[in-house]
Amino acid sequence: MAETKRKKTLASTNSLKRRKGGDKEKNWKKGPHLPNALQKQLNSLNPTDRSDEEIHSDEDIDVYEYEENIPEEESKKNRRYDPVDNFEYELPKDFEDEDVASDDDEEEKGDSDEEKHARMLQDITGLPGDAFEGKKKKKDVVVFEAYPESEYNPSRDVLDGDGRITVDDLLNPLHGKPGFSKIRKDVQRMDKKSMSIQPPLPKPQQQKIDRRSAYVYSKKKLHEYEALVKKNREAPTIYFDEDIDVGYSTVGAIASEFRPRTEFEKKMDSLINGKELSDAHKGDGARLLELNKVSLEDVKERQDRLSKMRNLLFRHELKAKRIKHIKSKTYRRLLKKDKSKAAEIEMNPEAAKELAEKEEFKRAEERMTLKHKNTSKWAKRIKKRGVDVQDDGTRAAISEQLQQHALLTRKRNSMHDDESSSDDSTEDDDDDDDISGDEDDASKLKLLENGKNRTLEVLGEDDDDDMPKSGVLSLPFMVRGQKKKKEAAEEEARLAFQDYDSSLKQLDGDEDFKDNAGDSLSGRKVYGVAQKKQVPQSKKKVKANTDNYFDNTDSEEDDDDDDDTMDKHGRTTYTQKDVNIDPNILREESEIGHDPLFKSFDDIDKDEGPKIEYEVSLSATNSLKKKRNRKDCNQIKGKKSQVAEVASDIEEQHGDDDDDGMVDGIMTSGMDYELPSQDDLIRRAFAGDDVEEDFEMSKQEILNEENPEPEKPVLLPGWGQWTHIQKKRGLPSWMLAEHERAKKKRDQDLNRRPDAHLKHVIISQKLDKKAEKLQTKVLPYPFKDKEHFERSNRMPLGPEFNPATTIGSLNRPDVVKKPGVSIKPIKLRKHH
Amino acid sequence: MEIQDFSDDIDVKVKKYQRGESADLEGLKDKKLKGQLANREELYKKSANAAAKAEKWLMQTESGLLEPEGIEKTWRFSQQSIAQEVDVASRKNQFDIILPDLGPYTIDYTSSGRYMLTAGRKGHLAIMDMHTLKPVKDFQVRETVRDAVFLHNELFFAAAQKKYTYIYNRAGTELHCLKEHGAVLKLQFLKNHFLLSSINKSSHLRFQDITTGQMVGNYRTALGRSDVLQLNPYNSVITSGHSGGTVCMWKPTTSTPLIKILCHHGPVTAISFHPNGHLMATAGMDKKIKIWDLRTYKTLQTLPGNAKTLSFSQKGLLAASTGSFTQILQTSDSSNYNRYMIHTMAKGYQINRIQFRPYEDVLGIGHSMGFSSILVPGSGEPNFDSWVANPFETVKERREKEVRVLLDKLPPESVMLDPTKVGNMREAKRKEKKTKAEVEEEKAAAVAAAKSVAVKKKTKGRSKPSKVARKKQEGIENAKRGFVEENEGRDKKKQKRITEVNELPIALQPFVSKKGK
Repeated sequence: MAETKRKKTLASTNSLKRRKGGDKEKNWKKGPHLPNALQKQLNSLNPTDRSDEEIHSDEDIDVYEYEENIPEEESKKNRRYDPVDNFEYELPKDFEDEDVASDDDEEEKGDSDEEKHARMLQDITGLPGDAFEGKKKKKDVVVFEAYPESEYNPSRDVLDGDGRITVDDLLNPLHGKPGFSKIRKDVQRMDKKSMSIQPPLPKPQQQKIDRRSAYVYSKKKLHEYEALVKKNREAPTIYFDEDIDVGYSTVGAIASEFRPRTEFEKKMDSLINGKELSDAHKGDGARLLELNKVSLEDVKERQDRLSKMRNLLFRHELKAKRIKHIKSKTYRRLLKKDKSKAAEIEMNPEAAKELAEKEEFKRAEERMTLKHKNTSKWAKRIKKRGVDVQDDGTRAAISEQLQQHALLTRKRNSMHDDESSSDDSTEDDDDDDDISGDEDDASKLKLLENGKNRTLEVLGEDDDDDMPKSGVLSLPFMVRGQKKKKEAAEEEARLAFQDYDSSLKQLDGDEDFKDNAGDSLSGRKVYGVAQKKQVPQSKKKVKANTDNYFDNTDSEEDDDDDDDTMDKHGRTTYTQKDVNIDPNILREESEIGHDPLFKSFDDIDKDEGPKIEYEVSLSATNSLKKKRNRKDCNQIKGKKSQVAEVASDIEEQHGDDDDDGMVDGIMTSGMDYELPSQDDLIRRAFAGDDVEEDFEMSKQEILNEENPEPEKPVLLPGWGQWTHIQKKRGLPSWMLAEHERAKKKRDQDLNRRPDAHLKHVIISQKLDKKAEKLQTKVLPYPFKDKEHFERSNRMPLGPEFNPATTIGSLNRPDVVKKPGVSIKPIKLRKHH
Repeated sequence: MEIQDFSDDIDVKVKKYQRGESADLEGLKDKKLKGQLANREELYKKSANAAAKAEKWLMQTESGLLEPEGIEKTWRFSQQSIAQEVDVASRKNQFDIILPDLGPYTIDYTSSGRYMLTAGRKGHLAIMDMHTLKPVKDFQVRETVRDAVFLHNELFFAAAQKKYTYIYNRAGTELHCLKEHGAVLKLQFLKNHFLLSSINKSSHLRFQDITTGQMVGNYRTALGRSDVLQLNPYNSVITSGHSGGTVCMWKPTTSTPLIKILCHHGPVTAISFHPNGHLMATAGMDKKIKIWDLRTYKTLQTLPGNAKTLSFSQKGLLAASTGSFTQILQTSDSSNYNRYMIHTMAKGYQINRIQFRPYEDVLGIGHSMGFSSILVPGSGEPNFDSWVANPFETVKERREKEVRVLLDKLPPESVMLDPTKVGNMREAKRKEKKTKAEVEEEKAAAVAAAKSVAVKKKTKGRSKPSKVARKKQEGIENAKRGFVEENEGRDKKKQKRITEVNELPIALQPFVSKKGK
C-alpha cells in the first residue's frame, strides 16, 4: 500500500514539475488538479507561496487537497536532464523536441531498456520477444493481504474498532482518486443536513404516477382539439381537397412537359421534329410523299426477312403442335422423367457429377466395344439380307442402334477448342497439335501467374513487416533509411506487377473466348464434328422410313430432330395399333348402342344379321312413334273436349287458367265468341237488380277469405254420443270457449280493417309480394322511430324536383376528396 | 298589404314544396342523428324556398277564368262570345272538323298537348299537330277501331282494333300486333312504367311492358263487360268501371283489385281523375255523377245527370258530356263542383270522348261527326315544365327525353295506391297464405325428415328389414298427410263457391234451362 502511494505521489510531483518547467508538457495530466476557477481564487488569496499553502491545505482546507511533494533530489527524474549545469543556454522559442514520445519518461526509458534487453534475448535464443514479456506485466499487481477485502474478510481495523464501517472508512481508499474531493464534499454536506431520504417507489407505482401525469398533460393537450373535432363531427360534409395541388390534370399538359432524355428518345425526337419533316408538314403533301419513298431493295429485304421469320414461326408452331399431339404415355412419362432429372441435376451438383461420370463410362464402354455399331449377330444378318428388304420395325430398330452409337461415340469438344472458328475441317486437322500448343500456352501462363503472385506477396509483406523495435536498426535514422529503401522496392514491384498484368492480358486476348466457352460448357458436354457428320447419316436412313416434312433442316435443330424421329416411330406404331383396334371397338359400341332397342321389341326375331336388325329396329321405332303421336293426338283431343266441357259447366276460377283456352297464342275466348246462354242474358238484363247485395256478398266472401271464419266445433262422429246424457251435455265447454275466442278475434280483425266502416268499399288486405322489396322490413340503423325515418325520406332529391341551386347541397356526399390524394392527419389551427 | 299578400303566397308555395311537415326532433335522444336530421331539414327548407321563389318569378303566367259581372252567369258565355275576347292564337284552337263517314271519334293528346290522336270507329286514324293544325299522318285501317292512345311520345301509338291491338309509328307503319290482348275495348298507357293496359270484351285486364314485350299482368276482372278504363295520373293505378256499378283499382302485379268501390246502382259509364290524385269522378247509368275523395273513399258530391264521358283538366275543371251536350264544372274549394260552362254541339252529334288539352285552355271533343275543340278559360296549366312535358320540344330534345325516360322507367310493382310509401317501412304483415311452391317445399322437407329418421336396433326380430321399411313408409305417409288435407280443404272451398254462383234468385229460378245444368 505504502509503495503504491509513493508512486502516485511521485507521479504527482512529476506533473507539478512539468507545470513549472514549461508550457510544452502542459498536456501531461496525471494527478488531481484544481478546476481553473478555484485555482484562480486560490492564487488571488495568497499569491506568494503556493507550495507551503498546499502543504497546509492537507490538514485544514477542505477545498483542495494535495500530497506533499517529494524533493526533486529524491525523485529520480533528475537524470532526465543533462547533468551539465548550463544555465545560460536557452532553447529557441520554436524549438521542438524530436522524440518526445520516446524519451520523456523514466519509465519509458526503462521500457526501452527492457526492449533492448528483449531484443538481445531474442537474438541470443531465437525466440520471439513476447515470450519474455509475461513476467513484467504481473508486476503491477500488488497484494496487500492474504485475502481480498470484502464483507467476509473485514480488514483489521474494522475488526479491532467498534465494528462499524463509517463513510470515512469507505472514502479513505479513494483518497487521491479523481472525483474524490467532490464525493467528500457531498458526504460532508450530507452530514451537515442529515435528512433521511425516502427509498424510491416500486416500479409499477412509479409507472402509474408517470402515466397519470402523462394523462393529465395529454388531456390538456387534446382539449385544444375538441372544438375542431366537434366541428368536423357536426359538419354534414367534410372537405379534404381544399389546399391540394394535384398538378397536371390533362394528358396534354403532361405530354407538353416531355423532354427527350435517353439516347433513343433523343434520336426519335430528332427524327420527328427534324427540320426536313416539319418543313414537309408545313408545305403541301408532295414533299411528305417524297419522304415516304422507300427503295426497292429495302422493301425486298424487309419482305424476305418477314417471310423468313414467318416461316420459322410456322415451322416452330407445327413442331410444337406435333409434339403436343403425341398421345403416347410412355413418351410423356419419359419426357417428364427427363425433365425432372434435368431439374434435379441443375439443383444438385453432386448428381450432375454422378451423371457425368456415368455418361463418361458409357461412352468409354461404347468406344471400346462398339456394341451398337451393327456388330451383333442379328445386325449382321439383317445387313446381309439388305436393310431395304426389312420391315419398318426392324429398320427403325437398326437406325436407332446406329443413332445410339453415334451419340455415344461422337467426339467431344475439348475445353480449349476454338469454337468461334466456323470451318470444321481445319479444326479437325489441328486437333492433335492443339494439345501441345495449349500446353505451351498453359506453361507460359503459369510462369506469369507465379511471378505475379510472388510480387503480390512481396507487396503484402511490405505492409505487414514491422520495423525492428530494438537494437541498432530501431534507431531513427536507420529506420528512415530502411523506409526509403522499401519504398523504392515497392515501386519496382508495382511496375513489375503491371508488366505481368499487361502480358497476361495479351495472352488472355485469345484466351478469353476459351474461358467463356469453358464457362458455358461447364453445364454439359458439347460434341463437335463427329456428331455433325454422323447424325445426318442416320437421319437419312430415318428419312427413308418416315417422310420428313422439312427438307432443309437447320443445324440447330439436329438434336431435336433425333428425338423427333424417335417420337415419330413411337407415334406411327401407336396409330397403327389404334387403327387395328378401332373397328372392333366401333362394332362393340354399335352393338351396345343397339341392344336396348332390340330388347324393347319382343316381336322381332334376333336370328338375322345386325344390319338388318338395325333397319328393322328403325322401322319399328318409326311405327311406334307414329302410334305414340296418334295416341297423343287422341289424348290432346280428349283433353280439349274435357276442357270445353269444363268451360261450359263452370267458369274458371283464376285468370291463370286462361292459358288453357289459348291455342297457339290466339285467344279463343275473343275469337269464337259464343252467343250468351239464356242464363247469361237474363243475368245481364237484371244486372242492376240488387247491386248492393251482390257487392255485400262479394265483400263478405273476401272477408271470409282474408279472415277465415273459425270452424264450428264438432266432435268425431260417435264420440260422446253413446248415452242420452252425453248428448244432452253437448260439446265440451273448452271447445265452445275456444270457438268463442276465435270468433271474437275475427270480429276484432274485421273491425280493424280500413274498410270496416265503409259499406261500399273493399280494400284488399293482400300484400303484393313483388312490391315487398320496395319497402324496408326493419328500420335502418341510426333511426329508432319510424316517423323520423319516413319523414326524412319525404323529399325527392332529383333535379326534376329541386331548383338547380340546391341540388348540389342536397346530394353532396359526406366526404369530399380528390381521388388518389391521401388524407393528412388533422391539424390544429390556432386562431389568435 | 301587398307585401303581406306576397309573403302569404310564398308561404303557401314553400309549404307545397316542403311536401309535408318535418318530424318532431325534440324527443330524439340520438344527438348525432338529431344533428343530421336537423341539417337535412335545413336543406329541405332552403330548397323549398328556392323552389317557391323560382315558381314565383319564373312561372308568372296565371291561368285565367271567366269572370261574370253583376247578374251575368259564366255558363251563359258562348264560344262565339269568348272568341271575340281572346287573341288570335287562342282563337285558332276553336274548330270543328267534320268527318261524317268514319265516326264516332275518340281523341287522345300527348302529355305535352302538342299532338292529338283521333281514331274513328270505322277505321280512321290520324295524328294532328295542334300548333300548326296540320295532320301529321292520316290513314285508314278499314276495320273497327275502338280506342287509340299515344305511347310515351308522339312517335308511337296503339290502336285497339276489331280483333287485335296494333302499335303504329307516326308514319302509320304497323310495328306490332298484340294478339294476346284480344278484342280490346279500352286502352291506357302508363307512361312512367311503359305499360300498355287494356281491357277486352271478356273483361280481362292486361298489362304489357312495351319496352320488352313482356306481359306483366293478365287478370280476369270477373265483373262483367267493361269499356271504362282510366289511369290515375298521380299513382298510375288503373281503374276499371263495371256493369255492376263497381269501380276497381288495379295494380299490374296483383290479381285482386286494390280497391273495389260500389259507386253506382247501374253500369259505370265514365271515370276521371283529378291530377292531384285525390279526386275521382264517376258517372253511371243511374243518372248520377259522383265525386269521390280517394283518401277516405267517400262521396264528396253527387250531381244529377248522365255522362258518357268525363274529364278533369289540369287545373281541376271537370267536363262531363252526354249526347251532344257538354258541361264544365268548376270548384272553388275542390269539394263543391258548380256549373261553369256549357257547350252544345249541333243536334244529332253524339259526343264520344272529351279530353282537356294539357297546357292549353282547350277541351277536345270527339263525336260522331268528327272532332271539335272549344276554349275553356282556366282549364290548362299556364306554365309548362320542360323537364316534364315541353309543347315546343325539338327533335333532339325528344330523343334525349326518350332515353332519359327509358332510363327512369319504373318497375311495374312500384305502382302503389300511395306512391310516397315506396322506401318506407313495411307495415307489419299478417300471416300470409303459403304459395304452392312453398307448400311443396315444406312437404319435401317433411318427407325428407321422415326418411332420415334413424331406426333403433331392436331385438327379437322387431328390426326385420321388412318391418323397418314398413315403419319408414308409415312415417313418410304421416308426413305427407298434413299437406294433403290442406289441399282438399282448398278444393272444397272452390266447389262451394261455384255452387253459390250457380244459385239464382228465386224469381229467376223458372228461367233456368235444364240443358245448362
